[in-house]
Amino acid sequence: MKILEIQDLCVTYIAGEKRIKAVDHVSFAIDEGDSLGIVGESGSGKSTMAMAMLRLLDPRYTEITGAANYRGENLLTVDPRRLSELRWKDIAVVFQKSMNSLSPVHRIGEQFEDIYRVHEPKASKKEIRERVEKLFAMVNLAPRVYNLYPHELSGGMLQRTSIALSLLFHPKILIMDEATTALDVVTQGQILSEIKKLEKSIAVTRMMITHDLSVVATSCQKIIVLYAGQLMEFGYVRDVLANPRHPYTEGLVRSFPSLHGKKEELLSIPGSLPDLSNPPQGCIFAPRCPYATDQCRAHRPEPRHIDDLHVAACWRVKGGIQDA
Amino acid sequence: MEKIKKVGVRLAGMVRSSMQLRMGLIFFALVLLVVIFAPSLAPFDPYDLGDDLLVPPGTNGHWLGTTNMGQDVLSMIIYGSRASLAIGIVSALISGVIGTLLGAFAGFYGGKVDKVVSEIINIFLMIPTFFLILIIVALFGSSMINVMLVIGLTSWPSNARMMRVQAMSIKERTFVKSAISMGETKRQVLFKYIIPNGLFPIIANTTMGVAKAILTEASLSFLGLGDPNVISWGQMIYEGKQYLATGWWMSTFAGLFIMLIVMIFYMIGDGLNFALNPKMKKI
Amino acid sequence: MPDAVKAPVIKAVGVKRYYKQRGGSLLSFGRKPRMIQAVDGVDFELYEGEIFGVIGESGCGKSTLGRLLIRLEEPSEGDIYFRGESSKALMKKDPKKFHRMVQAVFQNPFDTFTPNDTIGEIMMRPLRLHGIGKSDEERRAMCEKALEDGGLKPAADFLGRFPHELSGGQLQRISILRSMLLEPLFLVADEPVSMLDVSVRAEIIHMLQDLCASRRTAIMLISHDIAVVRYVSQRVAVMYLGRIVEMGDTDTIIQNPMHPYTQALISNCSSIDPDEDKQAIEIQGEPPSPINPGPGCYFANRCFKACEKCFKSYPPMRTMKDGRVVSCHFATGDE
Repeated sequence: MKILEIQDLCVTYIAGEKRIKAVDHVSFAIDEGDSLGIVGESGSGKSTMAMAMLRLLDPRYTEITGAANYRGENLLTVDPRRLSELRWKDIAVVFQKSMNSLSPVHRIGEQFEDIYRVHEPKASKKEIRERVEKLFAMVNLAPRVYNLYPHELSGGMLQRTSIALSLLFHPKILIMDEATTALDVVTQGQILSEIKKLEKSIAVTRMMITHDLSVVATSCQKIIVLYAGQLMEFGYVRDVLANPRHPYTEGLVRSFPSLHGKKEELLSIPGSLPDLSNPPQGCIFAPRCPYATDQCRAHRPEPRHIDDLHVAACWRVKGGIQDA
Repeated sequence: MEKIKKVGVRLAGMVRSSMQLRMGLIFFALVLLVVIFAPSLAPFDPYDLGDDLLVPPGTNGHWLGTTNMGQDVLSMIIYGSRASLAIGIVSALISGVIGTLLGAFAGFYGGKVDKVVSEIINIFLMIPTFFLILIIVALFGSSMINVMLVIGLTSWPSNARMMRVQAMSIKERTFVKSAISMGETKRQVLFKYIIPNGLFPIIANTTMGVAKAILTEASLSFLGLGDPNVISWGQMIYEGKQYLATGWWMSTFAGLFIMLIVMIFYMIGDGLNFALNPKMKKI
Repeated sequence: MPDAVKAPVIKAVGVKRYYKQRGGSLLSFGRKPRMIQAVDGVDFELYEGEIFGVIGESGCGKSTLGRLLIRLEEPSEGDIYFRGESSKALMKKDPKKFHRMVQAVFQNPFDTFTPNDTIGEIMMRPLRLHGIGKSDEERRAMCEKALEDGGLKPAADFLGRFPHELSGGQLQRISILRSMLLEPLFLVADEPVSMLDVSVRAEIIHMLQDLCASRRTAIMLISHDIAVVRYVSQRVAVMYLGRIVEMGDTDTIIQNPMHPYTQALISNCSSIDPDEDKQAIEIQGEPPSPINPGPGCYFANRCFKACEKCFKSYPPMRTMKDGRVVSCHFATGDE
């Protein structure tokens, strides 16, 4: 069952006379219960995409086309009142700096109560506390956190609190935008394994937006690779990372140092991101691609299917067989 | 060369980004023209005591009337712009330089230096400044230089406080650490990195300081503590106040022009504040 | 492996850095001020042409250690010797000479340069400061050559640009090149790639490796990314709450960590191989704040192995058969 389907999504930032294509014709779908990692470097449009889906971008400076269908409702056109109902209750987001959104002068518990009452005005204190403590247990937080102030918690605990907060209304979709990026290795490892455990007890579809391939590799089933606002590759994590079909994905994987096994030579992708207000003709990755041909420089490749799910936007992919 | 060009482009971008700044600068340019060409603009010699005593605006070529001594009000206003502007700009500069240096010193060195400077700032903020100015002018005489100095020397604490905070945050920036690890001395760091990078809010504040200084000078003159040998707008209001009933034009026009110039400097200051705001740089 | 006969380029002896905790309530008046032990007694040696990795979680004191080495801060106790010369004495006698010997590359390349100067001015300034090159033309030529060698072409074009016109990778390369213009003995690189995109990290890593190999500069690479450290450094030190808990050959330690903290740290690292069978060792909580951490092993309260002894006395540094040093009561050297 598809829970969210993005169709031909485009986001353009407008700054004076400049028009910057931050997301460029991206389409994909997530099934219920999936975990999807969205990977890209800075400027790839990964966060913009999530913000656009939830209409969190300022409409004065952005232009959004396409559709984001959540269970038959297009999030991009749905009534604002309905949208605010859907946010948090159905689709929750945890940002990298979510912990900063907690009020420093109120106890954690009070803040949970306030937020809970936004959607459930009649809830009693006891009921909320029970619910929150259950959530705390899921993210490995002690119940005493309920009575603490944000400054008394460490970074990891705060981010756990933010995750618990996002799960307050049993959302169907949980979007984590670089939610573990600022944390230490050990804490990040702990939170990722807690999330995986938690998914066994509650049904939630997860989208992880990150620049870190290893986070996706350890915690997601499917992966989307974005570059300069365009979808480069989409598929199961084990397919895409073990056997990348797009030269950009290949470059990313080869520039990622691994902790075990043979020390293969690290390679970087030469060049840098093109100017998105004036993108090159043809494939957006062609200027940095080692395999680029005249065809690549002249025409933009459409995403092509390698199998039922695995998709790559590259001319080298030809109907299931890759050119030698 | 290239650098000058790029700085120019950036300045132009700043001016374009703020309507207020643009308007303020245009008006300021007009005022400057008046200041420079005062002798050719003024229809009469402002020191000349004519035969028309206290005539209303529009009589005998006196567009804004004359004073009780027969001086032409318009010519006085044109010449008075020199004094007002000079006092405003010089005292704001004094206050800007002292404030920047002391603030940067305190913020960058920290520790005891910071404690001492901060206490001095606090003391200056506690005492009623205008009262202090009054006493000093009363004691040391009211020449234009004294007035400039005394306004400059009493208005620096707000600049110093601002610069101190700037210095404290800039010294944590990587380029300062990098400069220190390159072997630059503390003094070099202070003058090459801390002050130039922290100066923008001080520039905006100092521009507004010009307006405040002009007002302070006017208040001093109004109380009879201005320089009696110099024509300034404040002095004109002071002299005209006894004739408010019979010759309202003597003080009113000077007052209007003070308002105008204060507004111009506020516009520039506010516009600078907006244009120099780091959030604006991206667009 | 470093030659045992060769004298170390850098030798740190009992380096400590304490901060007094500020504030406190009125009631704490008269009590002993609480000390934060950012770096709490660190000894190590670094040899010519060696890259030495320092890993640990945030707050373990690795960045403070870096700042102590380049003298952005002074050690509260202990001293660091460069080619046998005390840095304390040298800083008093001739700070310029010290700064020429010791250089740094910082985490944030976007903030490493003052925004109002061109790259040319930024690169030539340290040369002028240290009296390298006879004229500005000569210095300019040196900068151009450095940029070309560092793969930033055309160099003349880069010299005229401002920092905000360049990408993070380019800026970080310029930062390294500028440091190397002074031909330092020793370079501290504090998280040099953590703010860069993955696809350009390799460039910076290779650059550091090349410089280390061609100029025999000793490099200390401070990073939370163990995989990067594994790629670059020959030896590594693991820090926890201001102390080194394990130090030795990088491959040995990463393949077979002996200190429980190192074991936990390495097992929690995620890899991009989805098939990898990972058994993360779970350790409870996060590092406690480094205020008077008590007599026992600092890691004891989170350690999965801890016994009574661990809470009573801090384990001494012991040298193992394979040459590494470990500070754990369970590492006895017979293993």
